[in-house]
Amino acid sequence: MRRIIAGAALVLMGLTGAAVAEEYPERPIMMMVSYGAGGATDFQARIVTMTSGNEDALGMPIAIINKPGAGGRVGWNWFATQADPDGYTLAAYNVPHFIAQSIKGGVEYSTDSFEPIANWGADPAVFVVGADSEFNSMEDVVAYAKENPGKLTVSGAGLFVGHHIAALQIDKAAGTKMAYIPTKGGGAAAMKAVIAGEVMGGINNLSDAFRAQEAGNVKILGVADLERNAFLPDVPTMMEQGLDVDNSSVNFRGVMVPKGTPPEVIEKLAAAVPEMFANDRVAKKMEAGGSPMHIMTRDEVIEMWGQRQQTLNELLAGL
Amino acid sequence: MNRSQHIFGSGLVFAVGLWVTWVSYTQQPAEAFLFPRLIASVFVVLAGWTFGKAVMGLSKVGNGVTRTMFINMLPGLIITLIYVFWAAKSLGFYTATTIAFFILLSIYDPAPHSEAKTWVKRGVITAIFVAVMYGLFAMLLNVYTPREILF
Amino acid sequence: MDFIYYFGDVFTPLSFLLLLGGTIGGLILGATPGLSPTMAVALLIPFTFQLEAAQGLILLGAAYTSTVAGGAVSAILLKIPGAPANIATTLDGHTMAKKGQGARALQLSFLASAVGGIFGVLLLIFLTPVLAKWALAFGPSHLFWLAILGVTVIGTLDSASVVKGLLSGCIGLWLATIGFDDIMGAQRFIFHPALGGGINIIAALIGLFAIPQVLTMFAKGRHNTGAEVIEVQRHSILAAFRELFSRTRALSIGTLTGSIIGLIPGVGGQIAGLVAYDQTKKFSAEKDKFGTGHSEGVIAAESANNAMVGPSLVPLLTLSIPGSPTAAVLLGGLLIHGIFPGSDLFDNHPDVAWTFINSMLIGQVLMCIFGLYVAGLAARVAQVPQSVMAAIVLALSVFGAYSVQGSMGDVYVMACLGIGMFFLERFGFSAAPLVLGLILGPIAEANFIQGGMIADATVGKASYFLTGGLNLLLIAVVLASIAYSVWMELRHRRYTTKEEAQA
Repeated sequence: MRRIIAGAALVLMGLTGAAVAEEYPERPIMMMVSYGAGGATDFQARIVTMTSGNEDALGMPIAIINKPGAGGRVGWNWFATQADPDGYTLAAYNVPHFIAQSIKGGVEYSTDSFEPIANWGADPAVFVVGADSEFNSMEDVVAYAKENPGKLTVSGAGLFVGHHIAALQIDKAAGTKMAYIPTKGGGAAAMKAVIAGEVMGGINNLSDAFRAQEAGNVKILGVADLERNAFLPDVPTMMEQGLDVDNSSVNFRGVMVPKGTPPEVIEKLAAAVPEMFANDRVAKKMEAGGSPMHIMTRDEVIEMWGQRQQTLNELLAGL
Repeated sequence: MNRSQHIFGSGLVFAVGLWVTWVSYTQQPAEAFLFPRLIASVFVVLAGWTFGKAVMGLSKVGNGVTRTMFINMLPGLIITLIYVFWAAKSLGFYTATTIAFFILLSIYDPAPHSEAKTWVKRGVITAIFVAVMYGLFAMLLNVYTPREILF
Repeated sequence: MDFIYYFGDVFTPLSFLLLLGGTIGGLILGATPGLSPTMAVALLIPFTFQLEAAQGLILLGAAYTSTVAGGAVSAILLKIPGAPANIATTLDGHTMAKKGQGARALQLSFLASAVGGIFGVLLLIFLTPVLAKWALAFGPSHLFWLAILGVTVIGTLDSASVVKGLLSGCIGLWLATIGFDDIMGAQRFIFHPALGGGINIIAALIGLFAIPQVLTMFAKGRHNTGAEVIEVQRHSILAAFRELFSRTRALSIGTLTGSIIGLIPGVGGQIAGLVAYDQTKKFSAEKDKFGTGHSEGVIAAESANNAMVGPSLVPLLTLSIPGSPTAAVLLGGLLIHGIFPGSDLFDNHPDVAWTFINSMLIGQVLMCIFGLYVAGLAARVAQVPQSVMAAIVLALSVFGAYSVQGSMGDVYVMACLGIGMFFLERFGFSAAPLVLGLILGPIAEANFIQGGMIADATVGKASYFLTGGLNLLLIAVVLASIAYSVWMELRHRRYTTKEEAQA
């Protein structure tokens, strides 16, 4: 029944498409974040959407709604199956998380279920150890992991999220086997495990690790990205330390809508949203919060999703 | 009467317990069901114990539901079910709330139905309440609730 | 004594206005079912964009303290706990309100909240460095044992029959496993799409407590001219003061338990009230009165859940680790202004840090004053005729459940659980242990699995979970708690059989 109504609505929307785009948006928009309030994704989503009510952006405020659970699966499942494709329900995506989860199965979404709008940030995964750890470089870590297979405990935010992908890539590159410990409660819980010494090391978001390092609680040993990061100019990449780890685990965050959203609405959003992200006030707040920005347009994101799909297919095939 | 009710109530819980146990021990992957198995095992034993006691007529706690209670409750329960499971989504929250609120008042308000004053009073209370809800949720908190008819 | 130096900043006109606004707004939001403190603070974040860092935090801090206390209003008057923290308050608070002592219960709860809250913030001010170490000491194995300690409370909590109490707890533990399992991501017991996200704890709370309430009111039928209207006796604030300080045992157990449990990241606020309630009951001379509208119950629960506010921020302010969802949202509020919690906060922005902490201290006092005023007014809520009350509670439940995540699924789950709970209650099951199971299940499971994974990679499960001072201490407390319950049950049974024999 729902489908029939949705279908009918789609036809109607197609007929009145131009008019829809003209008037859109005429009421506040909702954006679903599949992680808890206060997490890095939630925090950044709130900042990048704060100017959406301005006349030069969308002219309507965007309200953030959190649907956390199971590393994001809960929220994205809801978004793929239950959200109305009317342009008033947006969601934040996290790549590679949702792509990796769709490859592993057990969820009802894939890259085909969503239409990207724009990307706002790229948060590389970094390897952290406690401030008093004996490890001082990735070399030390790999050496220990080789001597003690399966004994090096490494925390991360969950299974098949960026952190886990980075751990898998490090294992593959160095020929080691680390004990990856997924924590409930996201990156913050994983970071706590590192600081409290419950685990020997951890993989975490660059933005959170940067803050923890500033507070003197952790050492950052390597960045899993192609280049060094502006926030951490002194920390070498994994590649520089001889580990063949590319940027597959970089956590790209952006906005998407469900498949079936009227093309006129998608076009309008795709044009307006990157502009909104580029706002000065947004950039200032993001920088103040230690969150690296990386604005990409819809076409660039479509390409990026495609690439990730391929690399992850290969990486996860052996598991 | 009370005994048969207890048997029915705890029987239902026991049935749920059996189902939970069965699912926990048959579903895959096993690691994910480790904890549910533990819970289900305790659950089913306790539920069996309670059910056994109820069958033997030893259940002391709980008064069950009397016939008058049930008859009193029925119209309210039916309105609740319609309101929650159909009207709220299909008519929109505020419209559905207005209607359900007014009907519930009319059913359970002891004031005499024959006087016009009663009906005006009911209408005013409903209007004030819905206005407060609208002010709080829609205007102050910006919570977007489904709206189909009117507001 | 840095904090005294910055006291003046709280009293600049704008700051004080924000403090007042945050407190009053927080009380209202807290009293609205469905709006947990986390939600309320998250809703206020956009307002802080325009403010300076210190002022924004004053608003958030004031709102945090008063939403926690505000939850008591709906818990006492409507039997709908505003947040998990207020569950224990319903047990005696609502029974008091039913007896016409709503005003007294509210006064006691706000006074107890203020005492607990101020103690908690003072701990935050003076003992932060020590407490920070403590907070980190709790690893997965300890959190697991702590959750088990909570489970041992289940059987004796608000249920006439221990077996049915435990069974209610089991139902709660099972309900908690519905949805995606958090670590593996496997789907468990999802027999309807509305359950895909698992059972939301706030929606479940509303359903389990409010809906049976509504149905009970329906079941009484059309009563003639307000025969069932609850009388509200006026109660003087002075008397409430005197009563509070004559109940020093409940007050101190509540405050201490709340402070200690609030400190532990990830467990904190949700169970502080319940554990304090249970402990107070065990140590009380009037055990049997608990659950029948006994003031000690309200005092213990409310002092505990506000005492937890201060310590719950310790891990955030010192280590930059948010220990609770609300702390995570506050972290966002800090980051937006470019302030990193941790040493940076106290070294480079002492004005922000101390103004924030001071505002919570003053906020507690303001919250208490307004709360007492509200107690006078809100007690009239209980004079609302039943028919109106039932309809109001029902509509509030629907709106509240929906606003948690903006999802109809939560509303359906809320209603199903509520209607089910009504019938279960008629057969001697009770909502409090069920909810406790719902809260503790995920904590116990996640920490057991996570701890198990660490243990397998290192020392092995047995030595990971069973050795170490803190583990042994917690295990000892768990065993003591079980032994005490068994002993009480046996003693109780002997008495009842004697009475029965005599009868």
